[in-house]
Amino acid sequence: MEKEREELMELKHEAVPGFPTVFGITFSVGVLYLILILYLSLK
Amino acid sequence: MSFSVPPAALFIAGAFLVVFLRGMPRSFLLLVLPVLSLLNLLSISDGIHWIIHFMDYKLIFGRVDRLSLAFGYIFTMISFIANLYALRVDNNPEHTAALLYTGSSLGVVFAGDFLTLLIFWEIMSIGAAYFIWARRTTASYAAGMRYLLVHIFGGFCLLCGILMHVHNTGSIEFGYLGLGGLASLLIFIGFGINCAWPGLHTWLTDAYPEATITGTVFLSAFTTKCAVYALARSFPGTEILIWIGAIMTLFPIFFAVIENDLRRVLSYSLINQVGFMVVGIGIGTHLALNGATAHAIADIIFKALLFMAMGAVLHQTGKINATEVGGLHRTMPITCTFCMVGAASISAFPLFSAFATKSLIIEAVAAGHMPIIWFILIFASAGVFHHAGIKIPFFTFFARDSGLRPKEPPLNMMAAMGIAAFLCVFIGVCPGFLYSILPYPVDYQPYTPCHIVAQLQLLFFSALAFTLLILAGIYPPEMRAINLDADWFLRKGANVLVWFITKPVSAVVAKINDAVTDALPKFLLWFGKNPPAALKIGADIIVYNFTDRAEDRQRLEKEKIIYPRDLLYPWSIGAAVSSVLIFLLIYLLVYFLYYKTGAA
Repeated sequence: MEKEREELMELKHEAVPGFPTVFGITFSVGVLYLILILYLSLK
Repeated sequence: MSFSVPPAALFIAGAFLVVFLRGMPRSFLLLVLPVLSLLNLLSISDGIHWIIHFMDYKLIFGRVDRLSLAFGYIFTMISFIANLYALRVDNNPEHTAALLYTGSSLGVVFAGDFLTLLIFWEIMSIGAAYFIWARRTTASYAAGMRYLLVHIFGGFCLLCGILMHVHNTGSIEFGYLGLGGLASLLIFIGFGINCAWPGLHTWLTDAYPEATITGTVFLSAFTTKCAVYALARSFPGTEILIWIGAIMTLFPIFFAVIENDLRRVLSYSLINQVGFMVVGIGIGTHLALNGATAHAIADIIFKALLFMAMGAVLHQTGKINATEVGGLHRTMPITCTFCMVGAASISAFPLFSAFATKSLIIEAVAAGHMPIIWFILIFASAGVFHHAGIKIPFFTFFARDSGLRPKEPPLNMMAAMGIAAFLCVFIGVCPGFLYSILPYPVDYQPYTPCHIVAQLQLLFFSALAFTLLILAGIYPPEMRAINLDADWFLRKGANVLVWFITKPVSAVVAKINDAVTDALPKFLLWFGKNPPAALKIGADIIVYNFTDRAEDRQRLEKEKIIYPRDLLYPWSIGAAVSSVLIFLLIYLLVYFLYYKTGAA
């Protein structure tokens, strides 16, 4: 009989080292880019 | 026209016939009915057909124009796909409910008057509720009851609105209303409940995930789309709909991201997509109404495909939570592929259906110079890709290995998914075919370099955001929990209502009950023994309250002891005056109530 696996109560997503920094940089660039295009479109 | 029948009639007749069939004849009927219905629709000419005279009114079972035909075609096609998917379900009442539900939805779409609309609207609710109860779990029973209660309330609003409208105008014609007065407002709310407007939407996310595997496919196609049709018919260009629709596109994204039940994720996604249609109806231009209709058609197909794919997973594994499934692409590659097609379609990838339909609405918003709404819709488009385009296939078929190794679902389910997937691609590749059946002529080209690049940019950056959120550990975890949204108010409100009924209302009812069944008969019995003496005692009680003398109180006690025998001493002047005043008051009350109000 196939061994039953314990069912998860919570499926967490562990951070891969280095990626929080990558996310921070990308997010900042994204926000700046958004501000820039909004500024240019409203100008 | 001479060989056609009312579009609802075929399915409703089939609903009664299917009860007596089993095996191959039943399967044959389930597949042939939609084909016959489609042929029937193709043979009907535009205009008003099948009129029945009823109490000075005309009940119209066939108001046929391009708008009703567009919805009629897709309802018929999706009924074929859903029936094929449900072919192996050995539960005749469920097939009856499916045919009744489809028939009544067609009845709504082709109704030319409000009375016919209301009748089919209510039959639709009953058919839909059965799909929820048919799963036979405690949760589904409770969800089905809640579904029915909400829809009875919606039907009640609709009925009140219709009665007031008929009273005001003398007409029961189901046509353009616009918002103006209480009658149209009640009808508007009645449609809005079925449309799952913000705050009125909890029935959808509560009930759809609790329905049977096949039932959810039907549910996703009809109820909300009938409401979209009704709004498009009665309230095009109603500005408030633009904001209602915009909020609908926005708020479900956040709930969908944190939701663990994947069919509930799709239910939130359904509200999100209906929001786009509502925005289109609110704008009300030809381009926007074409967009709303086209997107309703595309949504019916890709949402059915996604629900079918999740249903196949539930059917094969018995599990549907993101915490329980994962890695299923190993043994269910074809279902995974179909799910990916549905995900690409709902996300509006080029060459998939929503790319050619959603853009009509966004283009209409841009043409109407509504930058805030435009930004909301663009954000919502990215959110759709996030929760329906990526989350659904990723957590089901990839992500972690759950250890589950289910087989592909039965052939009929695969075939149904295959047809839906084909239609998703076909609409995306050849949008002209869909455009040709829309209510108004279409002068729009979705495949321009600008549109393709902009859409790909949106999708790839959304994918990048998802990837980085997962890798950075920021993406919210999937948890086995119940996420409350607006139903918090309903649940808390229900508790308050139960307290109010069981405490103060019950106490008042008990007092009234005691008074009517106990105190009043006792008093009448006492009074009937000697009415003049009883009146004397009553009058003395009033008079002695004012005099407040000891001898008067003693005299009153003596009167009570002597009662019911006659008193041996004469009435006091005060008691006599009080008695006359009481009689005069009663006389005046009777005169006022029966004569004055009667004369008015």
